[in-house]
Amino acid sequence: MTTVEAFEPKIIGFLCNWCSYAGADKAGGMQASYPPNVKVIRVMCSGRVDPQFVLSAFEKGADGVIILACHPGDCHYKEGNCRALQRHGMLNLMLEQLGIEKERCRLDYVSAGEGEKFSRVIGETVETVRRLGPLVVASV
Amino acid sequence: MKIGIYFCNCGSNIAEKISSAAVAEAAGSFPEQPYVKNVDFICSEEGKLQFEESLKSDRPDRVVVAACSPRDHEATFRRCLTNAGMNPYLMQIVNIREQIAWVTEDPAVATEKAIAAIRGAVCRVRLQQPLEKKQLEVCPDALVIGAGPAGMKAALSLAEAGRSVVLVERTPFIGGLPVRFEDLFPALECAPCMLEPLMGELLHGEHPGKIELITMAELMEVTGFYGNFIAKIRQKPRHVSLHECIGCGECIEACPATTANEFNSNASQRKAIDFAFTGVLPNAPFLMENVCVRSHGVECRACKDACPVGEDVVNPEEEETVVERTIGSIIIATGAGLYDASRVAGLGMGTLPDVYDALQFERMLSSTGPTGGDILTAAGNTPSSVAIIHCVGSLDEDHKPYCSGICCQYAFKFNHLISAKLPDVLITHYYRELVMPGKEAHTLLRHAAANENSTLKRYAAITDLSVTCADGGTLQVCAGGENAAADMVVLCPAVVPAQGGDTLSALLDVSCDQFGFFRELHGRTDAAQSVIKGIYLAGTCQEPMDIRSAMLEGMAAVGHTLAGLQPGRTIEIEPITAEVDENHCAGCRLCLSVCPYHAITFDTEHNTSHINAILCHGCGTCVAACPAGAITGHHFTNEQIMAEIEGVLQ
Repeated sequence: MTTVEAFEPKIIGFLCNWCSYAGADKAGGMQASYPPNVKVIRVMCSGRVDPQFVLSAFEKGADGVIILACHPGDCHYKEGNCRALQRHGMLNLMLEQLGIEKERCRLDYVSAGEGEKFSRVIGETVETVRRLGPLVVASV
Repeated sequence: MKIGIYFCNCGSNIAEKISSAAVAEAAGSFPEQPYVKNVDFICSEEGKLQFEESLKSDRPDRVVVAACSPRDHEATFRRCLTNAGMNPYLMQIVNIREQIAWVTEDPAVATEKAIAAIRGAVCRVRLQQPLEKKQLEVCPDALVIGAGPAGMKAALSLAEAGRSVVLVERTPFIGGLPVRFEDLFPALECAPCMLEPLMGELLHGEHPGKIELITMAELMEVTGFYGNFIAKIRQKPRHVSLHECIGCGECIEACPATTANEFNSNASQRKAIDFAFTGVLPNAPFLMENVCVRSHGVECRACKDACPVGEDVVNPEEEETVVERTIGSIIIATGAGLYDASRVAGLGMGTLPDVYDALQFERMLSSTGPTGGDILTAAGNTPSSVAIIHCVGSLDEDHKPYCSGICCQYAFKFNHLISAKLPDVLITHYYRELVMPGKEAHTLLRHAAANENSTLKRYAAITDLSVTCADGGTLQVCAGGENAAADMVVLCPAVVPAQGGDTLSALLDVSCDQFGFFRELHGRTDAAQSVIKGIYLAGTCQEPMDIRSAMLEGMAAVGHTLAGLQPGRTIEIEPITAEVDENHCAGCRLCLSVCPYHAITFDTEHNTSHINAILCHGCGTCVAACPAGAITGHHFTNEQIMAEIEGVLQ
């Protein structure tokens, strides 16, 4: 039986291939341990993250979602991360309407060199979602 | 469907944290009940062989490789699939080393995380489809726009490599800006001596027929894409045949009409038919239609009659023509100009006599310029003092915030040339910052500093300076409240993109930065490529630079052209691109606005978008943007990603 104290959130992480996925690999190379809760979905660009992926992740049982992009100005595809940022703003509004705390869906930037940051961001995200507790969405 | 999971132990790297036995057991509950095989080091020669042999004997329909990062070995394992006769895109890699084994303390937790990730990959790979690289026939020839240092170097190098080049130049001559200078920094090398061999080679060199030079021309329209562009070029009439004219100048003598010569800063006169300036190449005059008396309805054929070479060499009736050329790539080398110094208030540019910008002063120093190289005031006197103002409109938020990087060097070149011609003249440099990069430039600064008639004064803001002239008296430069007389003032304005860049940008769909310079694909790793595939950038059209850098940029652009398009070889089009299902496209055009590569066009007849697979980089932004779900991102389809999400969450 899951209790709030022992709650291990399930989190989906959308990582762009060029920066944040490479940042996650860097964290691996540095053996910078982090909680295991984030399941990684690799996309070529954070601009590929369709808001419906996020909604679907919540629907399929995720308690949180993190989208990691290249830093502004560093996008491998010029401006895909800007699209991700725009869509994240839109998602925040949609999630609120659905009664899902917007803190459950985080957007951040991790470069290929930022192994430590990746590890820290994952740790923070897991803690945030852990504090929020399991996602309970009122059935419509 | 038969799915094979290949679990790499990676020695102890993976095996000590993740139990392959537990993965094999869990796989029994995965969709399609995949088989699991253990390999010790799947990326080793032996491992790859073992992998390939297994693929051949077990004949799976889809493959999951649980190993290291796909950033390391995706290409390696795709090759294994190809070697085993499988389509390489029927594989999914699960990164259980970098992203699980190496970052998870507890082996039980790591194993659990790996099982979830592999389940996700199995769910995803079921939906993956075989993809094929397409082959495209291409034209290896190139269009070079601009015949300055960068463009000339590019054209010559391409011709040396056996490529045909169309070299389009807006002005009547080649050589760009430096051909108008007498001496060049940093070594004070004679500019014509340096450029003429290059220009001669281009016009009459070893590769005749390889370079088609079209002067007084501009690009009108470009259709097609990388490998197969069609360019329409508008050629204004020169009225003189470039091929037949020997440059004797008889027509010039005969011409009755005169005007100010813009190539000498309007400081000298020219005939309606004349050279841009002495020594210019190609060695043929051009006729200015608007100056020619024929434009006023006067019947005149003095130039044509004077020509001793032939009846059709000079043709006052020649009309504009449009030529069409097929090329595979385009090099933009349109160069730069100077910021209009009259926009910097208080410096007297355009209002006071004897205030010149650097280009005007270069012409004054030139033996082919309006004064034949003599430094003379407007009244025809030798100056006893010259003020050189650096950083005009540079490092200035009100004008251009950047440093142009070359001005200090030519300013100290001016110092050297002025004191060589007029040893007693007093020279004062007013500068905001001194920038003399590289291994050679400092000698010019040292020379100026050692010149007892030279003074360097630093100012904080250009608004602290003013140039005034009291009732026909000498100019006064006021700097921070201190007045100094100057018989001549030379301004060193910011380097800005050449005029017409915005038109070319719109025509080629190549974007510009906030300053109007052409934007690079990547400022560090792909600085010679524009954002449009097959369109390259060379020289000062992308940022201020010196001749050395411009020539190197020309070579860099050539490198891309030669590497990308080779005669007799097709280009491969990556299959991980996006594609529009025209039956579902609603025609909203949202995808056009989000594509960073202008790879999407709109078919107004059928009201649908179309993605050019050659230009598409496969980022998938349009796929996420399409409200109708009409765009498929191959290898990253909505269904595949959703299946992976569902798989890892089970």
